Amino acid sequence: MGRSPRWLRTLVILYVGLLVGVPLVFVFQRAFAHGAGALWTALQDPSMGNAIGLTIRVVLVALPVNTIVGVGAALWIVRHPSWLTRIIDRVIDVPLAISPIIIGLMLELAYAQNGWLGRPLAALGLQIIFSYPGIVLACIFVSLPLVTRQLIPLLREIGSNQEQTAASLGAGPVRIFLTITMRSILWATAYGVSLTLARILGEYGAVLIVSGNITDLTQTLTLNIGANFENYNAYQGFVGAGVLALTSVIILLLLGVARHRERKRHEHLA
Amino acid sequence: MSISLEHLYKSYGREPVLEDFSDVVPDGSLTALLGPSGSGKSTLLKMIAGLESVDQGRVILHGRDVTALPARHRNIGFCFQDYAPFYQLSVFENVAYGLKTRKMPAAHITKEVTELLELVHLGAFASRYPRQLSGGQRQRMALARALAIKPDVLLLDEPFAALDAQVGAELRAWVRSLQHELGITTLLVTHNQAEAMEVADRVVIMNHGRIEQVGVPSEVYDHPANDFVRSFLGPTTTFAGASVRPHNLEVTRSGEGVSAVVRDVIRLGFEVRVVAAPADGEALWLQLTHDEAQQLNLQVGENVTIRRRN
Repeated sequence: MGRSPRWLRTLVILYVGLLVGVPLVFVFQRAFAHGAGALWTALQDPSMGNAIGLTIRVVLVALPVNTIVGVGAALWIVRHPSWLTRIIDRVIDVPLAISPIIIGLMLELAYAQNGWLGRPLAALGLQIIFSYPGIVLACIFVSLPLVTRQLIPLLREIGSNQEQTAASLGAGPVRIFLTITMRSILWATAYGVSLTLARILGEYGAVLIVSGNITDLTQTLTLNIGANFENYNAYQGFVGAGVLALTSVIILLLLGVARHRERKRHEHLA
Repeated sequence: MSISLEHLYKSYGREPVLEDFSDVVPDGSLTALLGPSGSGKSTLLKMIAGLESVDQGRVILHGRDVTALPARHRNIGFCFQDYAPFYQLSVFENVAYGLKTRKMPAAHITKEVTELLELVHLGAFASRYPRQLSGGQRQRMALARALAIKPDVLLLDEPFAALDAQVGAELRAWVRSLQHELGITTLLVTHNQAEAMEVADRVVIMNHGRIEQVGVPSEVYDHPANDFVRSFLGPTTTFAGASVRPHNLEVTRSGEGVSAVVRDVIRLGFEVRVVAAPADGEALWLQLTHDEAQQLNLQVGENVTIRRRN
């Protein structure tokens, strides 16, 4: 492959740099602005600690759920197409098309204690809105298509001949998935999972509505950052933003390494 | 092991793919399912393997109805046109796959796989990966992988279509001798009539999901049941209002026959094609051998007589 023209490379570097690079640097610069001691104190802020804890607990449920559902949905849509999967294939993108704040409102209307789904659940003693389950639900909703969208084109490209061959050799569905399908989609799944993780960590609008944003109870890290800025505690906000941004950068770097390794392996084998 | 196919029907939506297909593949034979694309032959092969559902009819393997049996319980070796190598596994692991699935002891697997790799001349490639193999090597790996489970039946979908001409020709001869050696009932799908004639000892000619003719290759070639079979199995030309093979015509400078003018003489090596126009009909062509053409020394524009060979 030849190199792209110099002006195009310059344009892309400027675009990405000005839009992503420079602002990111400023967040870290602000977090370090008052020295290491102040940063250490700010990092120990109990409300931020609670917010990080809640965010981790949300990730621990929402991420595996969306990974399993995402892989399953992609396999179903590609391998067993029907009128139903064609509808699901369209509907699955809805969370990407609708503003998160509207998703939050939709969930609140449905799952509030007087809502259509919330009322029977409340009768069972389950509170969804303004509590942990609602936040998990919102995060699952907004990141629903990310794994599936990564896998659908890949599964189509791979085709089902390998899986069918494995079946003719005596393998059952579970063994076929573990030995054939999963090995082919591993890195694409990892990529989708990383996107899902980044999306969950960064979710603000939908979580804002369904959580009630109660400090120390239903405040995720993004909400905590927002609250600090609103309460004229900008420095604490920048520290929280720095933590979140650093996490995302680490995720992206790990992903970059993984993708690079996979590509290398393919080049080596080709 | 014989395969009985009884009144098989299959359609995708309203589009019929197979209509009332019945045939008995004899034990130990190498049968070619020959037909143009869209004739339903690949679908039929998948139905026998259990990789495609059967709308109506029965698939019977050696007297046992397997129509509803899942593919993994049929013990049928199946090779796709693209060989479907397991790209993430080494050549050894590819061939070992079916044996591992059957939970054979490791030592037994190693022994079997090593023998099979020798059989398909891939002994030195055990630790390679499919992407490091040529097309012909991948095909032999796929064959070894299918043979590893000691299948009752071997099904090959367009096994030579993805190979270049020379490799394809070598592999055809090799597959034929391997099949004779192992004696395993084999069904192969092809759209290439020369391939079917060369490899198979029995040909099933299909068109639009139906059987046009079944028989030994030389028999269907010499006695085609209809015009479709005749034109599908080899070149035809129109002589005296009938469809004939170009090598069944001869050309002379005297004697009885239809007089015509030589329009062109094309030398292809062993075969020489002569294009001629009868005075009162459309142009036809015929095939002569190199020696015949040499003796006749036909000139473009000269008057000749054409008749059927005896």
